Amino acid sequence: MKVSSAKVSKESKVHGGHHKNSLHSKRRSHHSILPLQPSDQLDQWSSVTVDMYSNHHQPQTSHTSTSRSSDYSAGGGNNGEPSGTGNKWASRLLKECARAISDKDSSKIHHLLWMLNELASPYGDCDQKLASYFLQALFCKATESGQRCFKTLISVAEKSHSFDSARKLILKFQEVSPWTTFGHVAANGAILEALDGEPKLHIIDISNTLCTQWPTLLEALATRNDDTPHLKLTVVVTANIVSSVMKEISQRMEKFARLMGVPFEFNVISGLNHLGELTKEALGVLEDEAIAVNCIGALRRVAVEERAAVIQMFRSLGPKVVTVVEEEADFSSTRYEFVKCFEECLRFYTCYFEMLEECFTATSNEKLMLERECSRGIVRVLACDDDQDNEGECERRERGSQWSERLKEAFSPVGFSDDVADDVKALLKRYRSGWELAQPHQNETGLYLTWKEEAVVWVSAWKP
Amino acid sequence: MAEESISNGFIMNPVSGSNPPVVAKKKRNLPGTPDPEAEVISLSPKTLMATNRFLCEICGKGFQRDQNLQLHRRGHNLPWKLKQRSTKEVRKRVYVCPEKTCVHHHPSRALGDLTGIKKHFYRKHGEKKWKCEKCSKRYAVQSDWKAHSKTCGTREYKCDCGTLFSRRDSFITHRAFCDALAEETARLNAASSMHSLAAAGNFNYQLMGNPFDTGMPQHLSTVFKPISSCNDDTIDQTRRGFPLWMGQASQGQDSIGKSTLQEIQQFGSLNPGSIYGDPVVSTSNPPALDYQLNWVFGNKVSSGNAEDHQLTTSTSLPSSNVKENGSQLVSVPSLFSTQHQSHQTPPFSMSATALLQKAAQIGATSTDTSFLGSFGTKCSNSQDRNKYSDLYVSNTPTTTTLGSDLENSANDISTLNQLQMYPAKRRRMQNEDGGGGGGETRDFLGVGVQAVCHPSSINGWT
Repeated sequence: MKVSSAKVSKESKVHGGHHKNSLHSKRRSHHSILPLQPSDQLDQWSSVTVDMYSNHHQPQTSHTSTSRSSDYSAGGGNNGEPSGTGNKWASRLLKECARAISDKDSSKIHHLLWMLNELASPYGDCDQKLASYFLQALFCKATESGQRCFKTLISVAEKSHSFDSARKLILKFQEVSPWTTFGHVAANGAILEALDGEPKLHIIDISNTLCTQWPTLLEALATRNDDTPHLKLTVVVTANIVSSVMKEISQRMEKFARLMGVPFEFNVISGLNHLGELTKEALGVLEDEAIAVNCIGALRRVAVEERAAVIQMFRSLGPKVVTVVEEEADFSSTRYEFVKCFEECLRFYTCYFEMLEECFTATSNEKLMLERECSRGIVRVLACDDDQDNEGECERRERGSQWSERLKEAFSPVGFSDDVADDVKALLKRYRSGWELAQPHQNETGLYLTWKEEAVVWVSAWKP
Repeated sequence: MAEESISNGFIMNPVSGSNPPVVAKKKRNLPGTPDPEAEVISLSPKTLMATNRFLCEICGKGFQRDQNLQLHRRGHNLPWKLKQRSTKEVRKRVYVCPEKTCVHHHPSRALGDLTGIKKHFYRKHGEKKWKCEKCSKRYAVQSDWKAHSKTCGTREYKCDCGTLFSRRDSFITHRAFCDALAEETARLNAASSMHSLAAAGNFNYQLMGNPFDTGMPQHLSTVFKPISSCNDDTIDQTRRGFPLWMGQASQGQDSIGKSTLQEIQQFGSLNPGSIYGDPVVSTSNPPALDYQLNWVFGNKVSSGNAEDHQLTTSTSLPSSNVKENGSQLVSVPSLFSTQHQSHQTPPFSMSATALLQKAAQIGATSTDTSFLGSFGTKCSNSQDRNKYSDLYVSNTPTTTTLGSDLENSANDISTLNQLQMYPAKRRRMQNEDGGGGGGETRDFLGVGVQAVCHPSSINGWT
């Protein structure tokens, strides 16, 4: 719905870019970002707010234009874009708020937070959900309560998770989306090829996958080879996994391996503060074993300054292959620039949420839980200081190219064979359309999973 | 003839035997165990891969099959003599694989069939040119590929738990994590866990009893939540002095549990200090709740009784808590439901109504949360329920049973049992002959939450 000219004029008066700045400059002398400023300054916003509010509510019932005009700016301008088409009202509001926080513009922040609060809901459509979770992070950032909020979220999550709920969640996710299974298939393929013919295998698993990667590997070991090798699996538990969950998992893995007829040994290492502290001895690495290090979604949890050390630690274990799977987003290089980091964060999670929306049913409980899981990461990245010792909860993702730079310090890349690429393609065929396998650019390594032509997950294999 | 090769042969899955086995276990000869008298032919890879091996001696034309060649030779109008094959007896031919590293390279492991050796060579040493579209499996031999394509994707995998899968990988992953797989181990664990839970109970006791960190009340509050809505109803009705379950059996099923859960609730809602010592502290004692409690605990409840008083006051608390501060009630039925396994532990996100509905169902799923883990795995069985109904119906259950059960029930309520209130309850129960409930799950009052689900127990009250 196009805005009437009257509104346009009002908006342009308030929301033209430079206009905004001149208005704001008067209010720059705040000591803190919040609390509010005197009401006279609010008046200027209130009319706009009303407009904005009513405009935003209209789209819920009317789906008119699908155009994405980009003249929205500052605090309240709405050109009548219906949010029903998912057109980024949340994105704009959120970005505007982030800018306001970065500028320390208190009244604007307050208004935007208020507006977002009105419109956001974790049970609504994508925009509303994004608004809700990012609002939480913005609020924490503005009030400097990120650390506390994060800890609360962690403890809530820990207490509400059981083996059954975690299992159900992860298996359901794997059923509807190849987001995680892509990495599993590619990594397993690389591991099997690298360790082919070895009689004693030792896989060191540092992942967030709750061992869902391994049943298919066990099956492959059992059926592919004439001589089934002995497999030792050492799982390094990152935070937030309750020990009883791991206990259940270990029982099941052992039983399944027995079923498959694979000689199997399963160990869990938990209570680790820093990955870099791991040693060969601690992991139980023996001389006659062929080592594979499998790292899925774990490197991003290492504090940025410690990542090089962790990679060197991997090297010191003498592996034959190292497989790394990470999500394609960069929260690391922008970590000192709030607005840029915010925008990247928003981009990534928008993609993720939209993916969830499409892959799950509308009322899926699993989808809700997965979205909730994101809230921790979002708060952590946007509202917490990295200086705090957070024991492996960093969540600062990097892109594949960035990880490659780091990994090249200690390893050289291994390409994925055609067989593995075929396996991955066959995997993707089993899901709904939208998923593709993409080869990397010229000098890069690994494979990318793309969702609607946007790269989302990166997998790579390395050897010493 | 087969003996010499059995020892060094690799074992293929024995199928129906063609030759009588020499070794009892093997049902047929190992492949590549030829007749020692046979003529060993070694063909070069090029020859093996050649498609037209049969050459006409007249014109040199090549054919894939001998029959085709013979047909062709007829066309040359050969004199009769030359038409026939050479009369000498053709020695049996066996073929070795030209690949030096191959098992079948050695004459003792030669294969008896030309087609066989060709296929072997392609499969093992050849390029896999044929690819299945659906699953991307690759084959070197076209016939293998064709055969696979026919069956690919049509096969359905069925897990022990009954779920069907069309995809092998999701089937495998499911199977590894399926409860059906873990059934055996679960039974074993159940036996051993009775002992471990005693220890766990202590641990939980620590959790429950300590001046908590912020996490605990939160957790308890999540545990207690869904009851809130129904408790409100219950309390309203009971305040009228009319036990809920009198009128409605189904609702009544819940109410006993609910009322008992009010005890449990109080742990969530009270501050640490009060949980230990003085449950009475934070709220008043509506007399109606005494009445309600009477129904719960049997006719012997008298408010004058010191123990009763203690009980009633304690039980009265939650209701007032409920009334006063609904927000404190978060999700009791998680505890509630896992105690009698009436439903799966609800996800943290479920609404109160949904949880309540689930709590009302009698299900059989067990759940295993970290805190509530000890609660989940003990399945209520009918026997327990009957025992429990005895608790209500007849006032002569075995007190010793109750006492000992309460003592021994190292499971769910062990944590609550450890609490200070428990000894009072237990004495109370013994006095009232209120024992005998099925040993497995008991609520705070030692009454046994299973009865909440059990209709007859409700009726027993009336």
